Amino acid sequence: MKKVLWLQGGACGGNTLSFLNAENPDVLEFFSMYDAKLLWHPSLSLESGEKVKELLKDIISGKINLDIFIFEGTVVLGPNGSGRFNMFAGRPMKDWVREIANVSNYVVAVGDCASFGGIPASDPNPTESTGLQFHKKEKGGFLGKNFKTRKGLPVINISGCPAHPEWIITTLSLILNDKLSEDDLDEYQRLKIIYGTTTQFGCPRNLYFAYKVALKEFGHREGCLYFELGCSGSYTRSPCNVTLWNSQSSKTRVGTPCFGCTEFDFPTFNFFSTEKNRSGIPKKLPLGVSRGAYTTLSAIARGAAPNFLVKPLYTKKDEKVDWLD
Amino acid sequence: MTSKIISPFNRVEGDLDVEVKFKENKVVDAKIVSRLFRGLELILRGKSPLDSLVITPRVCGICGASHLYASASALDMMFNAEVPRNAIRLRNVMSMAESCQNDLRHTYFMFLIDVVNKKYQEYINFEEVLKRFSPITGSSYKECFRWSKKYTEVYAVFGGQWPHGSAIIPGGVTSYPLPNEVQKAISILIDIRKNYLENVVLGGPVEQFLNTVKSYKDLLQWVEDYKDGDLSRIVEFGLEANWHKLGHGTGIMLSYGHLPFEEYVGSPSRKYFKPGIFFVKEKEYREFDQNNILEFVTTSYYTYSKGDEIGLHPFEGETNPNILDNSKKYSLTKCFRYKMDGNLLAPEVGALAMLTVSSNPLILDIIDKIGPNVLSRVIARLVRVIIYNELMINELKDYEFGKPTYKKPTEVNEGKGFGLVEAPRGSLGHWIVVKNGKIFNYQMVTPTQINMGPEDPKGNKSHLSLALIGTEVSDINNPIEVYHIVRSHDPCMVCNVHMLKLI
Repeated sequence: MKKVLWLQGGACGGNTLSFLNAENPDVLEFFSMYDAKLLWHPSLSLESGEKVKELLKDIISGKINLDIFIFEGTVVLGPNGSGRFNMFAGRPMKDWVREIANVSNYVVAVGDCASFGGIPASDPNPTESTGLQFHKKEKGGFLGKNFKTRKGLPVINISGCPAHPEWIITTLSLILNDKLSEDDLDEYQRLKIIYGTTTQFGCPRNLYFAYKVALKEFGHREGCLYFELGCSGSYTRSPCNVTLWNSQSSKTRVGTPCFGCTEFDFPTFNFFSTEKNRSGIPKKLPLGVSRGAYTTLSAIARGAAPNFLVKPLYTKKDEKVDWLD
Repeated sequence: MTSKIISPFNRVEGDLDVEVKFKENKVVDAKIVSRLFRGLELILRGKSPLDSLVITPRVCGICGASHLYASASALDMMFNAEVPRNAIRLRNVMSMAESCQNDLRHTYFMFLIDVVNKKYQEYINFEEVLKRFSPITGSSYKECFRWSKKYTEVYAVFGGQWPHGSAIIPGGVTSYPLPNEVQKAISILIDIRKNYLENVVLGGPVEQFLNTVKSYKDLLQWVEDYKDGDLSRIVEFGLEANWHKLGHGTGIMLSYGHLPFEEYVGSPSRKYFKPGIFFVKEKEYREFDQNNILEFVTTSYYTYSKGDEIGLHPFEGETNPNILDNSKKYSLTKCFRYKMDGNLLAPEVGALAMLTVSSNPLILDIIDKIGPNVLSRVIARLVRVIIYNELMINELKDYEFGKPTYKKPTEVNEGKGFGLVEAPRGSLGHWIVVKNGKIFNYQMVTPTQINMGPEDPKGNKSHLSLALIGTEVSDINNPIEVYHIVRSHDPCMVCNVHMLKLI
């Protein structure tokens, strides 16, 4: 039986709650399918107090062989490097993390906080937070850039705020079958099969993006959110519009811009508006597109936009349409 | 005197320690201590006001939509936004869907599994509750696993994703659902009602429960008539285990009110669940006014620029952590008090307080007959799920396709606003002050902070400490009564944005 431990640092618990939403398999089925046991989880396990400390000590001493150590949230180093902003079972959480990571076959960072530092590590970083093996873009983080687990792998990141339950289940199942190698990971140590495409793949607003038809205010199904409303979907890597959330939807499907929460630089702030340069071109261009190509393409695309795309799909009574451009 | 520190105190959101002092087997002092500080209010300073819609839901993974709703409401007020009725319906549905998810998961995953405790082995109902409520293997535990996530599907239809959607914005919502999507959500809620709430939770028809169970006596009758429902089993076991005599606390119930039901400009005037304060002993209701909220730092690791003995309203709130070796200060939770008739009140908040204040007849009568306690809190949480499930269906049936879900507000560069909601754990408020188009001050006052803060300048304790003090535990090495009292409040330490104790 494979053994799994899940701990939380500077966390909101969102990845745990997201994990509980898993379907086919759900969390209970998943653990039984792979003959794995969750040794302890802060919000799900029965044990409190001394029993938990004993378990952690047995893992560190090698009495219990730990297959997967899952960490959610930032590693909190403050104040002044002491780690005392996040105490757990009588000592700074950071000390538990290092000792447990050293004796685990695999270490998994679930969510943007554990992967890159996320919101708590953003300026002014009041808690001196960092990710397990990255601090924002910089490799290193808490465990250091040369850290490898007993199986010879770096920390495996499942970024996202939160991570989608299917991304978590997929990553864990490959690990439990010993089928995950370093070649399966991208430059940010995430599974390529999950983070290979951008959030735009599968977005129902793609046609509007292609013909440069902009939505200028919220509350509509028409138009693309990239040009005016701050959507990061064209340069953020995630399958949010392919593997839908809660089996139903995604942010861009309900008219909310993508905030880029699977990337190292989340949160970038100014979320609901698109920053542009002097010539009116968005400062952040779609992944892999040059400024010249973008300008040329835009002019042609807007001129070629089909008629039905530049007016509302559903007419509302007495409505003045000044929100689609 | 024996001191006991339970660390980690798990099955709460976040890291919590509880320090209790016993004299023989009686609790004589109690301190509730969070071990986590994330500093999100400090991160919000200097950012664009709308950024609070992305940052504040991430305060908490289990009640992010409540923070989102409070944040958008504060911005509504600041922009004097006109919020269409359709938008209010969808906001309400998202808030209720999240709350139901929370209330079920808390009840089954975090609270009820304590029934496997060895104290209960000789109880008449032990075998039955074990079969239902044991972690992982219990039949009702598994049902909750399956059904609680259905509420997140309802949320996602309108909010895109749960947790951490940001579809609620000043002036309405970002989504514009089609009739087929609304119908899908209604059908999920009907499925939950028929195949879960009636089959598993209540053991009988929802309509009959809502129409006929109006008093404590009616509830006991329901327990007789529908023995197979979880609610009946919980009430029966709770009475056998004396949960109705545990954790009374302050006896002052506070609710900010919840769920506006008509369109508004700036801030809502009327809500389905009215705001107010209810004094249990006096059976007296009083109006609530957010101007009377004060936060103190006498026993907290903060300094105020005008001295630590005064209380500040959240609009003037200051977040200056200052960890000095001061014997009086032991926590980074500020102390919440409500100023009334020259007194500083330390209220209880949560589902029980919300339904009491809004005059739900069943809950009012339960409060009257057995008072606020562990059992009445658990009952109130489940009753709220039943009420919310039906209210969501009604809101969605009234959704008018073709009418707007958003009206773009005129943004202003200077101003302030507050947003008050009932989160799953109780009254939640956000206060925002904007200068030069940037956030100058953002203060969040969370329900866990209200329930579990430290002492005020007069030395008076907050609700949860009072609920613990005086409790007699059956075994000091297995103080299950302490666990029940703390967990019956559904504590959320990650919500305690400014809470910390150093050891």
